[in-house]
Amino acid sequence: MLHRRISQFFFIYLLALGLLLLFKYIFNLSDYVIPGPLDIHHTATLFFSRYLRDGLNTLSVAVVGHVLAVILATLVAIIGSRGNLIGSLIKTAAYNLQAYPIVAVAPVIFILLGDGLVSRLLIAAMICYFPLLLSFIGILTEPVADIEHFYVITGRMRWQLEVKIRAFENIGKLSTVIAGSATLAMVGTIVAEFIGANAGIGYSLRIALYQSNIAKVLVALFLIGIFNSLYLTLLEGIGYLVLKKLKIQNGVMS
Amino acid sequence: MHLFFRLILLVTLCGCCLLPAGGCGGPEPEKEPVHLVYRLKWLYNISVIGDLYAEEKGFFARQGLQVDIKPGGPERDAIKELEIGRSQFGVASADQVIRAVAKGSPIVVLAQLFQANPLQWIYRQGKQPIQSPADLRHRIIGITYGGNDETIFRALMAKYQIRKDELTLFGVRYDYTPFYQRKVDLWPVYRNAEGIIISDKLKKGGEKVNFFNPDTFGIRFVANSVITTRQMIQNHPQTVRKFIHALIKGWQQALDPVNADSALTMMARFDKDTPAALLRQQLMTTRALMIPPAGKNFGWINAPAWKQSADIMLAQKLIPAPVRTDDILILEKIGGKI
Repeated sequence: MLHRRISQFFFIYLLALGLLLLFKYIFNLSDYVIPGPLDIHHTATLFFSRYLRDGLNTLSVAVVGHVLAVILATLVAIIGSRGNLIGSLIKTAAYNLQAYPIVAVAPVIFILLGDGLVSRLLIAAMICYFPLLLSFIGILTEPVADIEHFYVITGRMRWQLEVKIRAFENIGKLSTVIAGSATLAMVGTIVAEFIGANAGIGYSLRIALYQSNIAKVLVALFLIGIFNSLYLTLLEGIGYLVLKKLKIQNGVMS
Repeated sequence: MHLFFRLILLVTLCGCCLLPAGGCGGPEPEKEPVHLVYRLKWLYNISVIGDLYAEEKGFFARQGLQVDIKPGGPERDAIKELEIGRSQFGVASADQVIRAVAKGSPIVVLAQLFQANPLQWIYRQGKQPIQSPADLRHRIIGITYGGNDETIFRALMAKYQIRKDELTLFGVRYDYTPFYQRKVDLWPVYRNAEGIIISDKLKKGGEKVNFFNPDTFGIRFVANSVITTRQMIQNHPQTVRKFIHALIKGWQQALDPVNADSALTMMARFDKDTPAALLRQQLMTTRALMIPPAGKNFGWINAPAWKQSADIMLAQKLIPAPVRTDDILILEKIGGKI
């Protein structure tokens, strides 16, 4: 799985780079506008290890932010899936809050919490939190009639059981949603670093753009792609293992 | 086969028609462009008053030019736009130009707008005034990592042998809160733009401010200059002359105290967020930073300052090899006095 995803990323990256170089040579653009292969290689040699550390820093924040967002979204979605006033209020608030662009909210977060780790974590969590929440609410409010009917008729249905049934029956969807939001967590962390933080690959990107150094940007983008692929593969792997375990348990039970 | 030859003939004819010069009709001189795009370095603020004035007062139109003045911004780079062909003229700072030329960009400088760099550091007047770079020791200095203020400040540190451990550098963005909260002692600002606004805010709060200007201590790092491409100069010298003539006239008149009211009324339409009183102060400060030394015309290019800018960048390894700045400063070569 990892091999396939990384090779797919390599293919896309090299294709994009090739198109960029084609554009450069067709229009005879200088290395300032689009760096040549030698310039990219030279920059990669000089900055790869530093950007690798920055990328790892970003990835670690993205992972923690993502985990926090998943936990929070699960808790809020359970409350939100109840058909009461609080539930509908949470749902409305989630839809409305999602409409606010993070680039407008981020500066306020940096003012309140400073430009350290907490702000980056919060922004990363915020960016992936709302899509997660909405998906979770959607999944947890959708009845699994075949199974739930029995418990409702026998009067044994409790809200905890309802959540368990719906989560179990939609475990594939949940796993896909969680893996999909990993990219958002990565994007959120990079955006946070770009806007106001003082560490990470987003911060390095910001400096590279200040210096109009596109070669550095390309190196950073390469590493972001690699780290993103790694994280996605990890999540997909976990999802696969969970599904496999559940299927085995199911098989044993039946 | 007959169809095949007809197809070849059709393609050849189309090719002849599409070729701009050197096709079937033989070489034709390129027409002087009338519609031009002028990409500024930053958003509309006081630092572009002369550019806007030239357009508003019809100086470009009188030269037979239609100029579309487009605002710049943090992610907009006039040099890249010039090379791609989306703009014909632009504004860039010396560090951008030198960096680009070091990477083979065919950019030339037509005029230097700021004679003194407006990038200075604002600080509160306290018990220990800053009278020399040595007084910066043990203070917290804001710099934009990767920005030209970092380059200027590091050059100052090198010149006055201030070690890294003798002061604290604080990475800044567009949010001034750390300065207002006194977490940072000196904050980089454009003296003629945000410098006026921040000092006004602090004065209202009863605080007196001052500005630390590296230029005073021998760090000459050139700011905004008007640029174009070598190709533009070679192919359309008349257009370049007309453009720069109208632009310089716009700047001269906008900065002339006689036209202050008219220039400020115009500016207020573009910069709606700055109160009129502050715009007036900004204009006065801009004038002081832009008026060339006696005997020099507006737009005069300070060649030694350009050389120093390139030397500073080389010393800080921001460019891989020396750049001959004399080759890119070409005001004199297109007619000298305008």
